[in-house]
Amino acid sequence: MYFIQHIESITHQDSFQKKNIWDELKPLTADTGLISPDYKNYIPVAALRRLSTILRMGITVSKACQEKVSHEFDSISVGTALGCLTDTEKFLVTINTVSGDILSPTAFIQSTHNTISGQISLDLKNHAYNMTHTQNALSFEVALKDGLLCIDEGKSSVLVGAADEAIPFLERLRGSLIETSHPFTSGATFMVLSGKKGESISHIQACEVFFSEGNTENRIEKFLSSNNCSLQELDLVLEAGSDFKSKTSAHYSFPDYSGYYQSASAFAVHMANDWFIENSDSEAILIINNMESNKLGLTLIRRNEVEA
Amino acid sequence: MRIYVTGYGVISSIGENVEESLLALRSEKTGIKQGQKTYTERFKVGEISWTNEELVQRFQLTQDASRTAILGMIAAKEAFRGHSLNPGIRTGLISGTSVGGMDVSEIAYKDFLNGESDDLSIYRNHPSGSTSEQIAKELGIDEYVNTISTACSSAANSIMLGARMLLSGQLDRVVVGGTDGLSQFTISGFRSLMIFDDEWCRPFDETRKGLNLGEGAGYIVLETEETIKKSGKEPIAILSGWSNASDAYHQTASSPEGFGATLSMKGALAVAGLNPGDIDYINAHGTATPNNDLSESHGIKTVFGSAVPPFSSTKAYTGHTLAASGGIEAVFGILALNRGILLPNLNFKQAIEETGLVPVKNYSEGNTIKHILSNSFGFGGNNSTIILSKV
Repeated sequence: MYFIQHIESITHQDSFQKKNIWDELKPLTADTGLISPDYKNYIPVAALRRLSTILRMGITVSKACQEKVSHEFDSISVGTALGCLTDTEKFLVTINTVSGDILSPTAFIQSTHNTISGQISLDLKNHAYNMTHTQNALSFEVALKDGLLCIDEGKSSVLVGAADEAIPFLERLRGSLIETSHPFTSGATFMVLSGKKGESISHIQACEVFFSEGNTENRIEKFLSSNNCSLQELDLVLEAGSDFKSKTSAHYSFPDYSGYYQSASAFAVHMANDWFIENSDSEAILIINNMESNKLGLTLIRRNEVEA
Repeated sequence: MRIYVTGYGVISSIGENVEESLLALRSEKTGIKQGQKTYTERFKVGEISWTNEELVQRFQLTQDASRTAILGMIAAKEAFRGHSLNPGIRTGLISGTSVGGMDVSEIAYKDFLNGESDDLSIYRNHPSGSTSEQIAKELGIDEYVNTISTACSSAANSIMLGARMLLSGQLDRVVVGGTDGLSQFTISGFRSLMIFDDEWCRPFDETRKGLNLGEGAGYIVLETEETIKKSGKEPIAILSGWSNASDAYHQTASSPEGFGATLSMKGALAVAGLNPGDIDYINAHGTATPNNDLSESHGIKTVFGSAVPPFSSTKAYTGHTLAASGGIEAVFGILALNRGILLPNLNFKQAIEETGLVPVKNYSEGNTIKHILSNSFGFGGNNSTIILSKV
């Protein structure tokens, strides 16, 4: 089992360092903005100026996670769908507008997808396994599966997370390349997973990914039955792109709360974990990530059993 | 359980396939020359001379895509040739790339910046994950697709993740490696870092000034022992070790003592159950930047002590192909294993004063090579090592 020791999010919700994010959760409106914590508490001011939103979010939630667990991370696995868009665009503008031989390398250096995980290792002086996955709308799930594999291999304090940032340019692709009615948003959710229960309230039982079109319901039923569960037994479904509203007792479309970024299913894990705090009769939550129609990510999260 | 290599494919400036690459390696012929594109003409680069359209035609690809995806399709197809899809063999693709489809999206974006109408459909090629999905589609693979983006160690990390997924039983067979096409973005980026050498790069040489960039792709096919019984494929090598560690020193520079490099080399030896003395050849990362080669040399000396095995960097052949390098060099490593090749470190004249390490200077075949170690180090202090062993 993969216990969620701690989880932190910076999103367009008031979700950072909250006991229970559901206390403040509300559906986002079109004029939504990122709710940033005071990054200075986590990042030196001199460094902060250079850092884009995605790096600020990623570093801050990771450090907040490290503060809450006693062990140094022995693996770090990060997912990002589009990576460091602000710096990518900034460098594209630079190379097309600045003449002469001297270009500032900062935006280029920080445009690489693994700047997030690299900065985390630098800031925490962490020498462990350090991986960056990017697979469009399943970027979080493939990073999570790597993290679960690390635990199977004997690692005991695994940092898994996902981050993406919105830039205005994305609006140009709405309706052609990106089909969504939700606002483009930024978000980062990182969690510490361990094979030991500790103080955790829930655990990730399983995560599965599909890369082809197929019957979603069949796949869900098969996934659930192989994990000793069924649609009827689920207490909550958090989904994107699919519609299982009529088939479950409680249901939320998680992009209504996260907005649209392709690794938002990481935030759904945060929603699931905190759901168990108030809903003492809930046992099992399924996250269905069908944000892209040719891909499906399924993550089953369960309340930890109370020991007699 | 053993992880077998049952296929390999490569394309770079020294050749469009494994055979051509071997011929170039043997004749000590570099693929690096003065660039041909408007954004490469000022530099020495390991460029593939064909345009994207020409490559699609020459290799009968079914999709028009970015250069990164096209090069990936070519090398992955070669690696997967002779393999057949079979519902009983769960097959995945894990591919590394640093810039994804930047070579085409940067052109559209330039139009946008200039106030001209940009073709929005071009941007579908941009996400790094999309390059892998296109490559997977070309092979018919849809069981599992993933993209690793850890800069220059991406392909090595893809190889490592593939092996771990086979060991854990999540897949039966996996195509792993990496690809990167040259783009103006990358050329300008490395120029801004001021780590180009205007001359031919000289890895591990005292006078080295920096790197030459290159482009290409390299993939290998990994199968478990059980899968081989079903697929009937002849193994061409064993992937015996792998490791990734973080240098945690600087976003772009390596620690002077090669701390992360030491960790990843030691980690891979531990996974393989080998001692440093068992390694017969090291294919170094060896980018020819002052910083990398010194740091890597120190790492090698820390791990191997006074008995450093023959080592070389093949970057003076291909240029630094970034996320593809670990895949391309894995293919070179398998050639080295099976023919007893010690690959030369072209352009080397003078050992780095501080370390005194002298790489392999001349090509030779027929040496006894049972185990080779291959390093790939990326930005973000991302250090990876794989070990390939003779079947």
